Amino acid sequence: MSEQRDLKLPPRDRDTPDPTAPPIQIIGLHKHFGDLHVLKGIDLTVTKGEVVCIVGPSGSGKSTLLRSVNLLEWPTGGKVFIEGIDVLDPDVNLDRIRTRIGMVFQSFNLFPHMTVLRNVTIAQEKVLKRSHSEARKVAHGMLERVGLDDKIHAHPSQLSGGQQQRVAIARSLSMNPDMMLFDEPTSALDPELVGEVLEVMRSLAADGMTMMVVTHEMGFAREVGSRVIFMDEGLIVEEGLPDEVLGNPRHPRTQLFLSKVL
Amino acid sequence: MSMRDIRPTVRRRISRMSAYVAFLAIVVVMIFTANWGIIRQNFFNLEVAQRMFPDVVRAAGKTITYTAFSFGFGVVLAVVLALMKMSKGPFKWFAVVFIEFFRGIPALLTLMIIGFAVPMAFASLKKVPGVYMGLVGLVLVTGAYTAEIIRAGIVAVPKGQTEAARSLGMSHMRTMLTVVLPQAFRIVVPPLTNEIVMLLKDTSLLFVLGSTKLSRELTTFGRDGLTSHANASPLIVVAVFYLIITIPLTYVVGRMEKKMAVKQ
Repeated sequence: MSEQRDLKLPPRDRDTPDPTAPPIQIIGLHKHFGDLHVLKGIDLTVTKGEVVCIVGPSGSGKSTLLRSVNLLEWPTGGKVFIEGIDVLDPDVNLDRIRTRIGMVFQSFNLFPHMTVLRNVTIAQEKVLKRSHSEARKVAHGMLERVGLDDKIHAHPSQLSGGQQQRVAIARSLSMNPDMMLFDEPTSALDPELVGEVLEVMRSLAADGMTMMVVTHEMGFAREVGSRVIFMDEGLIVEEGLPDEVLGNPRHPRTQLFLSKVL
Repeated sequence: MSMRDIRPTVRRRISRMSAYVAFLAIVVVMIFTANWGIIRQNFFNLEVAQRMFPDVVRAAGKTITYTAFSFGFGVVLAVVLALMKMSKGPFKWFAVVFIEFFRGIPALLTLMIIGFAVPMAFASLKKVPGVYMGLVGLVLVTGAYTAEIIRAGIVAVPKGQTEAARSLGMSHMRTMLTVVLPQAFRIVVPPLTNEIVMLLKDTSLLFVLGSTKLSRELTTFGRDGLTSHANASPLIVVAVFYLIITIPLTYVVGRMEKKMAVKQ
């Protein structure tokens, strides 16, 4: 009897999030790009409301790790669970899971052929099937939150980098995600524009958003992060409270890296 | 004193002048040897030209209609072919063979195959007027040519656009329709304009399939005028009509392009 049941469609709860499970759980994650072994067995659990900052030299695999969470990169080994759902299971609805994971990119990736408002409403309407007026209302709220409600009719090219990145954050937030991924969100910005983006991220963290942030902003990691992870050559070398990892690193590779960037 | 002893600036002026003189000489010889009476009689015969109206306007309308029809459906076919070619599996190979076939044979041959050969195989198509069969042929040819243009446009859209759309939960199809294709089309407006002008001229190939007085396009109309009046003036009238359509078309699209560049 039980064997017969396994042949049927997967039970519905395979697709529904478990509120008691950690938002992100990564087990033994590996990623190869051809011969290149980028992630060599990563274990990481992010609990609700945690802000995990990932630092490390370029090429250490930190962006690949982040992109594996919402499967922009498909792992070559290991498991990824989002709110208890095994996202590598081919029977789960990946698009639905992705709506719960906001992602902010280094290069903003706003849709250049749409106005700011349309950038923020399009996925709400097409994916979440919200009505036009409801999507607009949410968009107004989110753009107000990032301080750009006066730019709704502008096109992305008319905005500064910092403004574009804040629109990108508003676009992600409009989907009401349970967690947010930030992939070097301030690395492409002019120095004077970094602050306004970090300010928005700081307020998000204060509101209890679960966040994974790949960053070079050590000050931000120290102040806002609840945990800092140092990665090198595809492995987590050291992790702990920001003050410990950044202030008093134990591992020589962490010490070397920090001596170069601080 | 040989050419070598002259200063380079002077030498350049002499060679340019001699080219002008040679060109002018050819034109003058042609003007004097041509029989102007016969040329005016046969090519610029106002009386014959007047008799082209108002039917030539209808023919011009047909040319535009056929172009719009072939381009509209051709572009839809091209998008499908481009997506097929970018996919993995059997569809990719279907698209590759389709594109190579219709790009590799003359458009005229395609129209003859569709218009004459295909109805032999499918009896039910024998009643369909030749022009309509020809339009199907033009759609296939346009689809094959435009598919490569569209594919280049899709590839030119940055990868981050797809990633952003997918991370918002959009499906592959949804991402294509709302994010990638609109940007791809903006990128390929110049080559598409080129394609539409070429297609407009290729509608003239429909004349091989024969057509009724009501369905003929400009070239067929001009050819009919040529035979019925034993005079070449209809061809000149028709040529002017082609230019009246193509030159503003190129201009309007150029303006559109500039406007979009500002908006982005």
